[in-house]
Amino acid sequence: MYSKGVQDVLKRKNIKIGDFIRVKKDETVYEGILMPRIKLGDTSCLVIKLSNGYNTGIKFEKGVKIEKTRKGFEIIHKHKKDTKKIIFDKKLPTISILGIGGTIASKVDYRTGGVYASFSPEDIAMQIPELKEITNIKAEEVMSIMSEDVTPDTWKQIAKEVAQDVNAGYRGIIITHGTDTLHYTAAALSFMLRDLPCPVAVAGAQRSSDRGSSDATMNVACAANFIANSDVAEVCTVLHGTMEDDYCLAIRGTKVRKMHTSRRDAFRPINEQPIAKIHWKSRKIEILNKNYRKRNDRKLKLDIKLNPKVALIKFCPGLDPEIFDFYLNKKYKGFVIEATGLGHTPTLGKYSLLPKIERAVKLGLPVVITSQCLYGRTHPTIYHNLRELSRRGVIFGEDMLPEVALVKLMWVLGHTKNPDRIRKMMLTNYAGEINPRIGPKDFLV
Amino acid sequence: MDYKKIGLKCGLEIHRQLDTEHKLFCNCSTKMVDKKPLTIIKRKQHPVASELGRVDVAAQYEFLRDRTFHYQVFPSEDCLVESDEEPIHALDQEALEIVLQIALLLNCKIPEELHIMRKTVIDGSNTSAFQRTVIVGLDGYIEYNGRKVEITHVALEEDAASIIEEDEKNRSYKLNRLGVPLVEIGTGLLIGYTPEEVQEIAYLIGMTCRSTGKVKRGIGTVRQDVNVSIKNGPRVEVKGVQELGLLSKIIHFEVQRQISVPKLKQEVRAAKPDGTTKFTRPLPGAARMYPETDIPPIPIDKKMIRMIKKHLPESWIKKMKRFEKKLNLSDELAKQIIRSDYLELFEKIVKKYRVDPSVTANVFVSTLKDLKKRENVQIEKLEDKDFEELFGLLKKRKLMKESIPDVLKYKVKYPKQPMIIGIKKLGLQVISNKELMRIVKDVIKKNKGKPEGKIIGLIMSRVRGRAKSENVVRIVKRLLKS
Repeated sequence: MYSKGVQDVLKRKNIKIGDFIRVKKDETVYEGILMPRIKLGDTSCLVIKLSNGYNTGIKFEKGVKIEKTRKGFEIIHKHKKDTKKIIFDKKLPTISILGIGGTIASKVDYRTGGVYASFSPEDIAMQIPELKEITNIKAEEVMSIMSEDVTPDTWKQIAKEVAQDVNAGYRGIIITHGTDTLHYTAAALSFMLRDLPCPVAVAGAQRSSDRGSSDATMNVACAANFIANSDVAEVCTVLHGTMEDDYCLAIRGTKVRKMHTSRRDAFRPINEQPIAKIHWKSRKIEILNKNYRKRNDRKLKLDIKLNPKVALIKFCPGLDPEIFDFYLNKKYKGFVIEATGLGHTPTLGKYSLLPKIERAVKLGLPVVITSQCLYGRTHPTIYHNLRELSRRGVIFGEDMLPEVALVKLMWVLGHTKNPDRIRKMMLTNYAGEINPRIGPKDFLV
Repeated sequence: MDYKKIGLKCGLEIHRQLDTEHKLFCNCSTKMVDKKPLTIIKRKQHPVASELGRVDVAAQYEFLRDRTFHYQVFPSEDCLVESDEEPIHALDQEALEIVLQIALLLNCKIPEELHIMRKTVIDGSNTSAFQRTVIVGLDGYIEYNGRKVEITHVALEEDAASIIEEDEKNRSYKLNRLGVPLVEIGTGLLIGYTPEEVQEIAYLIGMTCRSTGKVKRGIGTVRQDVNVSIKNGPRVEVKGVQELGLLSKIIHFEVQRQISVPKLKQEVRAAKPDGTTKFTRPLPGAARMYPETDIPPIPIDKKMIRMIKKHLPESWIKKMKRFEKKLNLSDELAKQIIRSDYLELFEKIVKKYRVDPSVTANVFVSTLKDLKKRENVQIEKLEDKDFEELFGLLKKRKLMKESIPDVLKYKVKYPKQPMIIGIKKLGLQVISNKELMRIVKDVIKKNKGKPEGKIIGLIMSRVRGRAKSENVVRIVKRLLKS
């Protein structure tokens, strides 16, 4: 966005973004296309695309002359909202791709200068030449938002769209999603889509799709192959397994976490093995964990009832217990504590969380204990203060990830307010979120 | 060949690596000395549409080859940035300042805002599939033989990964060169020049870069691209000319090729060491550029420019004049030393040891060349400190200038031995005046009545390389007279 002064001059001279212009400044003539500019920086700097392709910023100030040399082309942000079916081969199954947004759908945005979700699922699919040998495509852009803007309401909306397409008989669903909260969405869908008959692959990208090195291509290609050619009927994330473009890992939606800010292989399984390794070019699918639900003929039950009034509290030394009062006063209905080690929180003196926990439990509100170690299981009785917590009625969340426990508690609270029922549901394994047998190889996978 | 008649048009793009501490967009070292890779990462790349919505021809072409790229990652010279696994950090300030200096020395206009661009490259030489590049200067010129040669742009770029090997389906690259700052200087169309003159212009631009004292030296640090076309013909870009002296030959060969091949296409060709070229890919268009979005545009304020202008290094023209006037170098010698790879060392040594500048310059521009050419002495093994040692000894009159070639040769052979020991072993210690006097007296006594010339000859055969001949002559004359 240009400054008011520049905008006025452009208007007066009937110059639009995309037009060819000539700018004269200090005896130097700059010719090129007037580009849109970002808000950051000096907004009186004209951004000109020179004939050699470079953009450069020339400050519009006194003595600078600008004129239009010819009308340019319009810079179109093509934004296709409509659903598109691409049938390559009638004999092939058809997969539904639902676009949510995120880096995978991102390209340059001139307003902010950052990358922005504006790449449709169809655009993504068209970048993958081998797709036509694997599957037909129905591509639909459900929404176009970045990860951080996803809310529990978004999960519901996505779940509904998925259910619709599952019931319509698609072979499976690929969801393209921003990576930062992708694992929350994957967990939410795992709980909401009961009796899932087919796979739902949540894919994303750490490098935007407008880059030649984007990981989107392999991730979506592997997701399509996984859906078309495996018998897994789970909600899984499908993203790079290593820094290389060799294979993706299909990881259970409740046992996955983003463990790196920027690497392609940021998504790692926690406390269990990935379900499958999907080789890209050879298209071989290796099952690594046989504990999965198989493709079946059952009817999907959509169960999207949620209560989002759940707080996730990360304990750190010196945490003021009064933080609980804030949530209690704001009528929060449940707590997940990211405790230390096996599930400890302080039980002595003014830092003791026990009085607050007691208060919550007395109000009939669930308090779920998870560990900030992420790896491993919590335990209710090994140490004295664990017993103190246990005695007061907290729920030890086994080896559930804190984020997964949060999503699950929202979902459970959407179904019942009864403390006993809540406890029972929290400890029931609905979507593989609890691994009763953690093996020696299930660490740092 | 009459180049005017055939309508030779050339354009130069000169690249030089900058000698910065860090790479352009991360904190890795630019030294490129790591020997063993830490790991190898295998990747694929795909074509993408540019900002203006067109997929680049060059990119498509490369894509169709469906290659796997193997990247060697080096321990102290590559981080996640080079592996395309972490967003770039802020632009290196040191590199920016050097390249602004170069732009100003080339009389360029500096934009008020620098926009980093991504130039699509799908040959795998960059893990991100684009090369980041930013224009820092526009519309400059240099003077050549009284004519102004247009400098269209000065850009700051990240160097690409260096290729190790390739076959039909694979390409291996070393990642340590990726991200080393590179200055790119483009000239306008050079019309009416001979290939030799085009080469001269390239020299001058190279010298301007060197005058900052902050460009890397040695094999692989300089790369020239040259566009060549003749009347009514398409433009052909010859990439990667590493040796400046080869440029005129390449232009000459390319003109002959263009004359002999009928239907020419616009294309990119790679320079081979013998001066001929080979086809690499169609010429990429401007559509392959799109903005870098990971970091915002960089404002250049007037104060910064003023500061850089104030501390601008001496231009090579001024240097040339100074060498001639203050150091009394001949025109030819000044020209040669300015072009020499040893220019910086020459200046340092002249300043520090004050040995006759002509003698000093001659060591660098002719003695070394002669040693290499005539006796195939591996002069590359000589380090800066070896030359300091040499001129230190010259200053202290521990050897005669005539002995320099022998002493250097000895140093190459025994690099660890102090030079003064080499001088002794070669029997080249300078004779004291007293000793010289004794020898002269002795020879005169034994050869009484013989002509002066004969006596001088006899003395010289005993003291060659250890005493100045003019001293010998002077003493002989004086003694014979008395």
